[in-house]
Amino acid sequence: MIVADAVRVWDAALSAISSCLRDRGLRQIQTPPVVDEVALEPWIEPLGLAGRFVQTSPELTMKRLLADGAGATFQLAAVARRGEHGQWHREQFVLLEWYRDAPTLAAVRADAEAVIAAVAEALAPWRRADAPVPTRWRSIAWLDALAQHTQLVLRGDEDGDALVHACRSRLPLPPLRAATPQARTLEAWTALFTALCDQALDAWLAARAADGEGVHVIEFPAPLAALSEHERDGSGRAVAARFESHGFGRELCNGYRELRDGVEQRRRFEAVAQLRDAVGLPVLPMPERFLALLEQARLPPCAGAAMGVDRLVALACGADSLDAIALVR
Amino acid sequence: MASMDVSELKKNAKIDIDGMPYVVVEFQFVKPGKGQGLYKCRIKNMITGAVIDRTWRSGERFEPANVESKKMQYLFSSGDAFTFMDNANYEQVEMPASVVGDDKWYLLDNIEVDVLFYNERPVGVSLPSHVVMEIVDSEPGVKGDTATNVTKLAKVQTGLEVAVPIFIKIGERIKIDTRSGEYIERVNS
Repeated sequence: MIVADAVRVWDAALSAISSCLRDRGLRQIQTPPVVDEVALEPWIEPLGLAGRFVQTSPELTMKRLLADGAGATFQLAAVARRGEHGQWHREQFVLLEWYRDAPTLAAVRADAEAVIAAVAEALAPWRRADAPVPTRWRSIAWLDALAQHTQLVLRGDEDGDALVHACRSRLPLPPLRAATPQARTLEAWTALFTALCDQALDAWLAARAADGEGVHVIEFPAPLAALSEHERDGSGRAVAARFESHGFGRELCNGYRELRDGVEQRRRFEAVAQLRDAVGLPVLPMPERFLALLEQARLPPCAGAAMGVDRLVALACGADSLDAIALVR
Repeated sequence: MASMDVSELKKNAKIDIDGMPYVVVEFQFVKPGKGQGLYKCRIKNMITGAVIDRTWRSGERFEPANVESKKMQYLFSSGDAFTFMDNANYEQVEMPASVVGDDKWYLLDNIEVDVLFYNERPVGVSLPSHVVMEIVDSEPGVKGDTATNVTKLAKVQTGLEVAVPIFIKIGERIKIDTRSGEYIERVNS
């Protein structure tokens, strides 16, 4: 795509996103991209900047705003994640992040569907007429998707070593390196998540996409909760109030009913820090300001999500990589 | 050399695996959601040419290979070893015959080749894709046999035996493919 076309495509997409979410009752904001603390994730690396960071997402900043009474907001944030470069990854990209000051994950999933539909419509002139777009959505629980594609039946609360043992014949996991039980559990479940996506789920999601279907993978196993609340599903399995939306066969969006328990959040961040240490990743500071906000019970009940805009724009144009729509190479 | 984070991996990177140098010929980065990134590579052994698939995960490290390629001139052989000279500084290195292997059949005096150094030791030569050599021995062709697909064995200066068309005579020069050892054409000089 020549630059003039890429400019038109981005203009149409950004405008469609803003109109869509404003119409759905959210207010558009913008917060600074350089931050003092980031949420600890095992496999997301911030770009450092003299003791500060370029945000990996504006999540912690926007949760502070929610605590201060901002209400439902969204922003198109410039973010960076070190070392991610590939067909569908860029080190720097635009992340649409939004929060609703009500703990309704269904509303946030509906927002995601609406945004994807709005961008698909806005970019129709740049897309082949017969290219499939997600016109209907289905939801599948993570543990059910796992069982369906690997015959592995799990409860979601297996510890790391039990999980490695359970997976040994169907989807062997690499040996665990973390020392503490919490970190081993996190390590094993993220390894299973990676293996499931890579070896089974991605092909199935691509087939659904070719059929014009989008998929919300919901009810992640509890150890993959990250910053979302734990709950029990209908059959008593330990799950997280988290979803991942896949449109056009690719992961586009991640949403949580947000965890508000500071003790639990600190426990999870500590497990991440122990895992990062065990695998030799750089030490990141504990996000104390954010944890203090949770510990003081200041975060109102809320739900939110983040969507990769570059990827959505490229896919809605029918492009086969982010290169096609890149404004800066 | 210090090990490097796998996020530094890219196409054409030269890496060390189990004491062998490899070059990345294909590179793909995939990362499922908040899962671990996968660096899916096709890598080629720089000594044997064998190609294998290998996937690294984020958080892993790799060893860069200490490899260097130098333009050198072949000088002479002592039987057990072959001596090359660096065209830039006239330094000479010896490569054992076992390392040169079958490439020895194409080492004409003074031929220029790329010598691959791994950890400062010469580990192989890369030859030009074809060389021109002279026939030093061959049976004469049978008179009257002019069919072009009939071949005979002929020996060139280095001792290499090549199947050549029946009309090729001693003293003539031929072009040989260094990858297959096959005759390409007669060279008129």
